[in-house]
Amino acid sequence: MAVIKLLSSDNVEIPVEKDVAERSVLIKNMMEDIGGHIDDAIPIPNVNEAVLRKVIEWCEHHKSDPAPPTDEDSDSRKKSTDIEEWDQKFMQVDQEMLFEIILAANYLDIKPLLDVGCKTVANMIKGKSPEEIRKTFNIQNDFTPEEEDQIRRENEWAEDR
Amino acid sequence: MDNYSFNNRPPSMPPPFPGSGSNRNSIASSLHSTRLVAKPPPTLPIEIIATILDYAPVSTLMRCARVSKKLKEMVYDDSRWVNKLVAMGVWNEAEARTRFEDALKRKRMAQMKAAEEERRRRAASLGANGGGAPGQQQKGISMGSTLFDMDEQQAKIAGPKAVPADKLAGLAQEVDLMTINTQAENIADDSRRLAQEKQQRQLMGVDTSDPSLMIFTDVRSARGYARQEYGRVYAALWPYYIDLVTSRSHADPVVFRRFRNPEDQAVMLKNLKIFSDSDSSLGWYERLDRLNSMTSIFENAVLREFESGYEECDYSGRMKRYANVLILLNGGGGAIDLFVSKHYLMFERESLGNPMDCFTNLHSADITLDPARDFFRKLSEAVNDQSEIIDQIFPPNVDVMIPFLDRIAEDVIGEYIGPLLDESHDRDIASYLNCITEVYVSVIQFSKSIKPAKGSERTFPEKILEIVIRIFEPHYDLYLTEELDHFKRLCEEEVESWEKKITDEYIATESFYMSNINRQADKVDFLASFKKVILMPVNAIPLPPMKPINIAFPAVVNPFNLRLKPAAAPTAPPSIADSQTENPYQTTLDVPDNHLNGDDTGPTPPASDGRTTPQPQVAPTNELAAKAAILNTRMEGIRTLFSIELALDLVHKAKAALERAACFVRFGGRIGEEAKDQCEQIFISLIQILGQRHVKSGFDKAVTHLSQYNPRELSTAEEQDQVIVKPLVQFMELVNVGDLIQQMLDVFYEQELIAHKLSDRNDFLNPAVKEKKRFEQMLDERVAAGLNTGIDVLIKEVDYVFAKTQKPTDYNPGIVGEPGLPTDLGPSEAARKVVDLVASHTKLLVGSTDKNVLDVFNQEVGMRLWASICKHLKIQRISIDGAIVLISDVNHYTQFIIKLRNSGLTQYYNALRELVQIYLIDPQHAKQMAAVIADGTRFKGIFTVEEVYEFVTRRSDWYQIKKDVEKAMYGFGCSVM
Repeated sequence: MAVIKLLSSDNVEIPVEKDVAERSVLIKNMMEDIGGHIDDAIPIPNVNEAVLRKVIEWCEHHKSDPAPPTDEDSDSRKKSTDIEEWDQKFMQVDQEMLFEIILAANYLDIKPLLDVGCKTVANMIKGKSPEEIRKTFNIQNDFTPEEEDQIRRENEWAEDR
Repeated sequence: MDNYSFNNRPPSMPPPFPGSGSNRNSIASSLHSTRLVAKPPPTLPIEIIATILDYAPVSTLMRCARVSKKLKEMVYDDSRWVNKLVAMGVWNEAEARTRFEDALKRKRMAQMKAAEEERRRRAASLGANGGGAPGQQQKGISMGSTLFDMDEQQAKIAGPKAVPADKLAGLAQEVDLMTINTQAENIADDSRRLAQEKQQRQLMGVDTSDPSLMIFTDVRSARGYARQEYGRVYAALWPYYIDLVTSRSHADPVVFRRFRNPEDQAVMLKNLKIFSDSDSSLGWYERLDRLNSMTSIFENAVLREFESGYEECDYSGRMKRYANVLILLNGGGGAIDLFVSKHYLMFERESLGNPMDCFTNLHSADITLDPARDFFRKLSEAVNDQSEIIDQIFPPNVDVMIPFLDRIAEDVIGEYIGPLLDESHDRDIASYLNCITEVYVSVIQFSKSIKPAKGSERTFPEKILEIVIRIFEPHYDLYLTEELDHFKRLCEEEVESWEKKITDEYIATESFYMSNINRQADKVDFLASFKKVILMPVNAIPLPPMKPINIAFPAVVNPFNLRLKPAAAPTAPPSIADSQTENPYQTTLDVPDNHLNGDDTGPTPPASDGRTTPQPQVAPTNELAAKAAILNTRMEGIRTLFSIELALDLVHKAKAALERAACFVRFGGRIGEEAKDQCEQIFISLIQILGQRHVKSGFDKAVTHLSQYNPRELSTAEEQDQVIVKPLVQFMELVNVGDLIQQMLDVFYEQELIAHKLSDRNDFLNPAVKEKKRFEQMLDERVAAGLNTGIDVLIKEVDYVFAKTQKPTDYNPGIVGEPGLPTDLGPSEAARKVVDLVASHTKLLVGSTDKNVLDVFNQEVGMRLWASICKHLKIQRISIDGAIVLISDVNHYTQFIIKLRNSGLTQYYNALRELVQIYLIDPQHAKQMAAVIADGTRFKGIFTVEEVYEFVTRRSDWYQIKKDVEKAMYGFGCSVM
C-alpha cells in the first residue's frame, strides 16, 4: 500500500497509508489532480502535529467505512444517527482539542468526522445556560437584558419542565 | 465587531466552510515564530455552529437563541421549523404560498397607495417640476417598503392567535402572513374543515375539549411563523412525549393517567407518533423505539378487548368501540387483521362443502360440479351476512370488506378449489379442463354476488377482480400448458386414429381407385352433382363472408355449451356411397335436418323439399345443408386422403380450448398476456396438425397417385364415352376441400382470435399470423405441385387417346381400299375424345380455384396439348383428302381453346390452323409450297422454317413432290445456272 507523507503546521512529517489519508476529500482531490503519486510531503498548514495525529487515528479506524451519501436533499432534514461508541471514546478530549479536531476535519473536508465532532458539541451544550454556551463558543452577549428576557419568555414552551 | 471572530475572515478560503483557519494560520505562524503569547482558545466558525445546532434538542436551541443576535437569527430561521412541520406532515406548502402571495398583494397595494400619496405630496410641493419624478418615485416606493409599523403588526398577531405572539417582531417580516381577512372563504374553509374533524372525532368518542388532543387539526402553514406553530405543538406534546419515553412501565406515563378513556389515549399516542417524526436531535432513535413499544402495548391491550368482544359477538358494543380506538390509533389495521383471521368462516370451511364431493366415483374421472356451485352459493350468503356485521362494527370510512374477502379467497376458496383441481387433474385431463372453467365461472358469479359494505370504496369491483385473479394465480400456469398439451394430444390422436382407419381400408380402396372400373355412370352423376354443390358454398363465401362456416360453428355464447357440434360424423360413408347411386341429395339432406332441429327453429326446414324435388338448385337451401352435402359427397372421393369432417372436428376442439383459455385473458396483466399467447399457440398447433399432418399428407398422397397413374393400364377406360383421369378428378376435389379448410381456418381465425382480440391481424410478426401464412403457402405449393403432376397425367392420357383412337385412315383415307371422300366432315373421333377429356378437366376447376391459378393451369394445359398435337401430327401421314379432316380437327381444338379465353394460346392454335393448310396444296404447286415453307414470318415465329418443313414431310405424296419443293426452296440458283 502506497504511503504518502503529510506535513503538519509545526513541520512534522507523518507517513500515512494513501487510502487512510484519502478519507480526507481535500487530499483525495489533490491526489487525483496530481495523478495519484507524490513523493514530497503534503503540507497541511492549518493543523498541528497533535491534532493531525488524532485525525489520522480516526481515519485509520474508519478507513473501511462506506462512502457517505452525497445527495443534497439528505442535509435538508436528516435524522442524525447517534455517535458510535468508539467515536464517543475518541472524542473524550478537552474542549480545545475537540474544537481543533472539528476545524481540522472541516479544513481537510472529512464530513463524517466533522459530524461526529458537531454531535459531541451538541451533546456538550445540552442543558447549559446561555451564559455557559457563550463561554463554550467564545461568543459575546450582544443583547440587552430586556431583549434576552424577551426571548426567554417567547420560548418558554421549549423549557423542560 | 471584534466579538465575532468568525465574522472577520476573508470569504475566499478552502472548502467547505471558508475561513475556518486562515487567521489561525497566521496566528499559528506568528506563534510559531514568537512562542511568547498564550495561544487563544480555538473558536468555531459560524457555519459549524449552525451544524451543531442541527443536532441540538429544541430546549437547547431556544437557550442558544438567547446567546447572541447571530445565534438567535440562526435558531429562528424559518426553514428549520418548516422542516419540522413538514416532517410531521402538517405543513401545507400551497396554503403557505397563498398566504404569502395574498399578503404580498396587500403589501403592494399599500405601497402603491403610499407611493401615490407620496407623489401627490411631491407633486404638490414641487409644483410643475415633475420631470424628475421617476427616480423620486422609486425612492418613495423603497421608503414605503421599509416602513414598518410595529404596533400594528403586534396587534394583528395578538388578535387571531392564542400562541405567544412574536412581540419582538425582530424577524425581518414585513408581510403580515397570519391575517387572511381578505380571504374570507379561505377562513370559512378552514373553520369548516376544523369543525368537521372535531365532529368526526366527537362521534368516535374523543374528548374534543382538550387542546392537546386536537393539536394537529389547526396547525397553520404560514411562512415566518413556523416556529410559533411548532412551538404550540411542542408545548402541547413534548411533556407527554418525554414522559412516555422515559417512563419505566406502561402504567406510569402521564398520557395514560391523564386521559382515562381509551379513545383519548389512542389519539394522544397517534399525536405523539406524529410528533416523534419532528424529533431529530440526538437519541431520537431510542425515543422512537420506546414510543413504539408503548404504543404496541396499548394496541395489544385494546386488541384483547376487541377480541373478547368478538368472542361474545358483542358487535355493536365492545367490538365497535375498540375498533374505533384502534382506527384512531393507527387506522385499525390490527383490528381488521384480527377480525379477519379470527373469523369463523376461516375455521368452518368444511361446513360449506368438501371438494371431494364433486367426485361421484372413487377413482373414475366422473365429476359433477354441483357441490362446488353449492359451496359458492353458501359462501356468498355467509359473506353477505358478514358484510352487515362489518357495517355494524366498523365505521364507514374503513374498508374491511376487501381484506376480509382477500383472506376468504386465500383460505376458503383457495383451499377448496386447490384440492378440487389437483384431484381432477390427477384423474383426467379433459374433465380437469372443464372443471377449471366451471370453477372460474362460479368464482366470477360469487364475486358478483358480494354486496359491498358501507366502507367499501368505489373501486370495489376492481379490487374483487384482483382477488379473483389471485385465486387463480397458482392454477392458470398449469392449466394453460395442460390445455395446449391436451389439445395437441387430442388432435394427434384423432388424426392418427383416422390414418389408421384409412390404412386399414386402403388396400380395399386402392383397387377402387386404380381400377376405374366401378360405376362410371354414377361417377358422371356424382361429378355433376358434386360440382353444383361445390359451387354453392365457395361462391357463397365471398358474398356474406362469414356465413357458411358461421352456421357450422354457431357463435356459442356460453363457452361450455358445445352441444351444437355439427355432427358430420354420424353419416357413415359406405351407406352414402350406396345411396348415391340413386340420388346424392337424399342422404345428404338428412344431416342438415338433424342440425336444424337442434339449433335452428327458423323458417321451413329444407329437408322435405330436398327429398321431394331433388334438384340441385333447391337442395342446398341453406348453407348448412349445402355444406353437409358437400361433406358427404366429398367423403366419397377423397376419403383416403383427408377428411373435412376431421378438420371440422379439430376446429371444434380448438374452439372449445380457446374459449376456456380466453377466460383468463380477461384477467389482463401478465396472466392475460400469457393466456393470449397460449390461445395463439392453440391456433398454431391447430394449423400445424391440420395443415402439416393432415392436409399436407393428403395432398402428398394424391400427388403420388397422380404421378403413378398410367393410362395404359386402364384397359377398360376406352369403353366409356367419357374418359376421366380419375386421380386428377380426385385431386381437383382435394384442391376444393383444401381451399375450404383454408377458408374455414381463416374464418375461425377472424371469429375466434381477432374478434375476441386474442391476436392482432396486422402484426406480421405474430406467430399465429405467420403460421397461417405458412399453411396457405403450403397449400398453394401442394396445389401447384399437384396441378403440375395433373397436367402431366392429363397429357399422357391425351397421348394415349391419340395413340389408341387415331386411325391411320383419318387423315389418309386413301391408304386402304379405294380412295373416297370421307363421308362425314366433322372432326375425327380422336380429336373429339381429346377435347372432351381436356375440357372435362379444365371445367372441374372453374369456380373452385383462384382465377389466376385457373389461367395458369389453362395456359399450361393448352400449351402442352398443342405440343402434343404437333407431336402427334408429325407421326401421321396426311393426304390431301385427309387434310380436310385434319383441318376440322384442328378447328375443333382451336374452338375449345378459344373458349378458354387465353389470347396467347389462341395464337398458337391459329398458327397451327394455318399450318395444316399446307396439306391442302396441290402437289403441282410445289413452288408455292416452298414459298410457304420458306416464309419464316408467316406463323408469327411460332413455327420455324425447319419445323414447317418437317410438317410438310408428313404429306402422303411427299416423296413425289420432294424434289420440286426442295428445288423451289434451295434450288433457285441452280435453275438459273
